[in-house]
Amino acid sequence: MREAILLLLGGDAELYGIIGRTLAISGMATLVAMLVGVPLGYALARGRFPGRTLLLGAVNTGMGMPPVVVGLVVWLLLTRSGPLGDWGLIYTREAMVVAQFVIATPLVVGFTAASIQALPAQLPDLLASLGAGRLRTLWILSAEARLGLLAAVMAGFGAIVSEVGASMTVGGNLRGSTRVLTTAIVTETSRGNLPVALALGCLLLALAFAVNLLLTLIQQRRNG
Amino acid sequence: MDVAVEGLRFERAGRTVLDIAGLVFADGTTTAVFGPNGSGKTTLLRLIAGLERPSAGAIRIGGTPVGRDRASRRHVGFAFQEPVFVGGSARRNLGLGLALRELPAAQREARIAEAARECGIETVLDRSARQLSSGEAQRVNLARALALRAPVTLLDEPLTGIDRLTRVQLLDDLPRMLATFAATTILVTHDREEAFRLADHLVILVDGAVRAAGPKAEVYACPPDRAAAELLGYTVVAAGGRTIGVPAGAWAVGEGDGALELTVDRVVDMGDHLHAVGLVRGTRVDVRLRGTDPVPAPGDRVRVRPLLQVPVG
Repeated sequence: MREAILLLLGGDAELYGIIGRTLAISGMATLVAMLVGVPLGYALARGRFPGRTLLLGAVNTGMGMPPVVVGLVVWLLLTRSGPLGDWGLIYTREAMVVAQFVIATPLVVGFTAASIQALPAQLPDLLASLGAGRLRTLWILSAEARLGLLAAVMAGFGAIVSEVGASMTVGGNLRGSTRVLTTAIVTETSRGNLPVALALGCLLLALAFAVNLLLTLIQQRRNG
Repeated sequence: MDVAVEGLRFERAGRTVLDIAGLVFADGTTTAVFGPNGSGKTTLLRLIAGLERPSAGAIRIGGTPVGRDRASRRHVGFAFQEPVFVGGSARRNLGLGLALRELPAAQREARIAEAARECGIETVLDRSARQLSSGEAQRVNLARALALRAPVTLLDEPLTGIDRLTRVQLLDDLPRMLATFAATTILVTHDREEAFRLADHLVILVDGAVRAAGPKAEVYACPPDRAAAELLGYTVVAAGGRTIGVPAGAWAVGEGDGALELTVDRVVDMGDHLHAVGLVRGTRVDVRLRGTDPVPAPGDRVRVRPLLQVPVG
């Protein structure tokens, strides 16, 4: 334990690199998942089209998708001999962003759809009748559903920052390149370097807590 | 502004919900669109507000066709049947519509204060709109639509879902509120008392079609068919080879011109007087008994005559 604390306080450059990479990859995947997932969640919540219930069911299933399976599918797509192999993304940070995006998006869509559906059904019509255009309506509805939308960010980020299967499969856990906190923990554990693994675990928890605390503060700011 | 409905048809899931050849709501009038549940009343309001697109035909407000664009909607203030609010205070809800209509900030507060005063919601302005009582919420709902001072104000069942005392108060207050804020008002109701107390014109809508339209006295005097007559509160019976409508309470026991036979089903004691309730030629009739009338027993046959009647159809 003492060794773990020393490592945390010691200012190790590699450690800081891993932390930065973890935040950058999971942050980017969450951001893209929000950009895609929020409009999709809104459409699923408010749209009336054939297959909507089937899609909602698929999204709800996707919310519990095993990361290692996602990693396997993305690996099959991106590997050199795969259909997207020419892109040369396998064992890169971009491949990890893609895999994490696939894991986070159903969560974002599901949480968004649920929070928009929880709003009064006539609210969009009310806003339209008061004179709001489409974008303004979407903005006001998002503000009304902000508790759920921030829960979507937290769920998405929480799921991908702590997953190891997909990141290991498509990133390859390359030192200085695609190694993130979770894959580093696996590496150190397999080497029997338990104090370092434990220190990294504490750091991962602290990181997740800090990000979620920040989001919770934003979420609760106007609900105190 | 006039609201003109021209060759309007609206279909949903293959079913015709509305089919109106022509109808005009004249500028400055208050019209009650009156009809049973499911007759298409709310759909008509939504079409006027530009929230639905007609399957055929058009609606014009002040000569301009209504579309699903923002400009069309700005002619209209709409109070929905269920008060729906954004989070925050009643003041925020009133201000939202004014802000969306780009009223200068300096004028918004004055408009909110005026609407709050006229609608009796000054004391609840800073309370959370979603935590108001049903009566307070309905007043805020109405104030939000009226504060817009739109050329056309639409009220969907404005007195539904509130307690009896608040309803009585609002029935008294609404005409004054409308006179202060609204120009052309179209309100939807299935309640005859509301229609007659709040409006000067009536449109009777049954199964998506207009059965009668015009000043309320004219519509009341000449119901075009049985359905319209019953909606207007008439008891409709066949008498002397024609169909007549008798207003509620306009029956008396006794012989006379047009007397009919009532088969008494039961006698209801109202405390200070009795009612004989039964069937006249298959139609349920309720007759108030005078003190001098003999009290019938269930199964008795009593001669009753209409004190007032109008031809139906």
